[in-house]
Amino acid sequence: MMHAVRRMLARNWIGALSVLSLVAAWEIAAHLVPVSPLQGTPIVPSLEHMLGVSFIGMSDYWKFPFWAPVPELGGAQTYRGAILAMSYHSLITLYRISAGMLLGASVGVTRALLLAHFPLFRALAAGPLHFLRMCPLLAMIPLFQFWFGATDKSVIIFVAYGVGVVYLVTALNAIANLPHKYIEAALCQGASRLRILRSIVIPAILPEFFSAIYVTLGIAWSAVVAAEYIGVDSGIGRMVIWADYFSDTGRMMIVTLFILAYAMLTFAFVRILQRYVLRWMP
Amino acid sequence: MEKLIEIHKASCRFDHASGRVVHALNEIDLTIGRGEFVCLLGRSGHGKSTLLRSLAGLNPLTSGWIRVEGELVAGPSSQRGMVFQEDTVFPWMTVRENVEFGLKCQGLPAAERTQIARRWLAAVGLAAFENSWPKELSGGMRKRVAIAAAFAGGAPILLMDEPFGALDYVTRMDLQNLLLDLWQRTRTTIVFVTHDLEEALVLAERILVFSAGRVVEDMTIDLARPRNEEVRARAEAVAITRTILRRLEPNNDVLRVA
Repeated sequence: MMHAVRRMLARNWIGALSVLSLVAAWEIAAHLVPVSPLQGTPIVPSLEHMLGVSFIGMSDYWKFPFWAPVPELGGAQTYRGAILAMSYHSLITLYRISAGMLLGASVGVTRALLLAHFPLFRALAAGPLHFLRMCPLLAMIPLFQFWFGATDKSVIIFVAYGVGVVYLVTALNAIANLPHKYIEAALCQGASRLRILRSIVIPAILPEFFSAIYVTLGIAWSAVVAAEYIGVDSGIGRMVIWADYFSDTGRMMIVTLFILAYAMLTFAFVRILQRYVLRWMP
Repeated sequence: MEKLIEIHKASCRFDHASGRVVHALNEIDLTIGRGEFVCLLGRSGHGKSTLLRSLAGLNPLTSGWIRVEGELVAGPSSQRGMVFQEDTVFPWMTVRENVEFGLKCQGLPAAERTQIARRWLAAVGLAAFENSWPKELSGGMRKRVAIAAAFAGGAPILLMDEPFGALDYVTRMDLQNLLLDLWQRTRTTIVFVTHDLEEALVLAERILVFSAGRVVEDMTIDLARPRNEEVRARAEAVAITRTILRRLEPNNDVLRVA
């Protein structure tokens, strides 16, 4: 582990240096800007503020009467409570984003396969598809909440909708680019349509499918946080709103940093997955 | 010799978007016997690949018909294996999975598939590469994989469309010898498209010369085997070459465009 970190630093020391100087600049700014008239809410929260007061304050969001004191019921703020609260809401968000991605990818790719298979469908779908791609995603959150309620289901469907179009378009493109020679070679070996789908089409579009995952990860994180931010009463996006009630900049920053870390981790996870699944690629 | 393939008044025309009409095949009548090694020879654009693709079932005829063992050819089938000029080894399957693919399509159980695939990989000299990815092999080795896959499928007819066209001279000679060896051992019927006269002389028992969508010469080649790259210098071969070249004169081109 340490070895891997050291190797990464050796390779990206310029990048590491610029990140470090950014953190230093933030810290300097935190000490230079005027203090906010509201107590405990600095305009630019310093690192020690975030890691101290703000982080332990996250325990305010632990609401179950076990494992840690509940500050809402007069209990003390604890680090254990803070960690529990962060984990609980992170897991909820992680569940929503994974379910949404999975739903969006499967619906998108399935529709692409159908569209590619039936030319009439493709002609019919081209217009609406273009329209869907152009719809401003975030502006549709209230509509989704009106349709599906302020629930998990609503957030998941919203994420799926946000990423699904990307999968649909990517898969359609990938299928169109699939070299016909592979289909012919499979046909001459007696392959059925289903066999061609399973053994030729799906493996052949996987490389482009992974580019779609990278694109949609960004969209999905924005979508899930935004949907929680506006409507649902749990999840890491919701924590920003709770912090906002008291203009608690430190807590907002903590949540932001956590989301950043999760996004980076999911990218890294997808990269590892890709390296394994596409190990056949030249 | 027992008739295996019958071709009756096979015609194929392509109407291009530009309005040009190409008669790729012009009422071809032909029979090919079981176990024959036939080369279709001709300049590019004169119908030999079109006929081969029609035999494979990949290219429907405009009129006429093709029967294999009495059955009309209506589409691709595992009964007619095909080796393409392009590299059609699936890059996302290992070498052995590639060779097993046809058997999988035929519904053979895994253990049996593996056994057959290993046997054919050994026959083409790739036993040590069964778990390699195609990207790790050279172009010639990938062609060996394609040949192993074609033979492993067990089709009584193998169709080969300039399979060695993209390979270097020495590799091509290696693969020609390999193919001859496999043909002599299995007596599979092989229809082999090439524009390379020397290749046809080395391989074929029978050469069909194509010009303007017709078979303009049907020659039995009884040159003694083994034939090597010097086969062209033999007196009988010189006579054959002369006949073929006369048939491939440039002005034959004009017949093609209506």
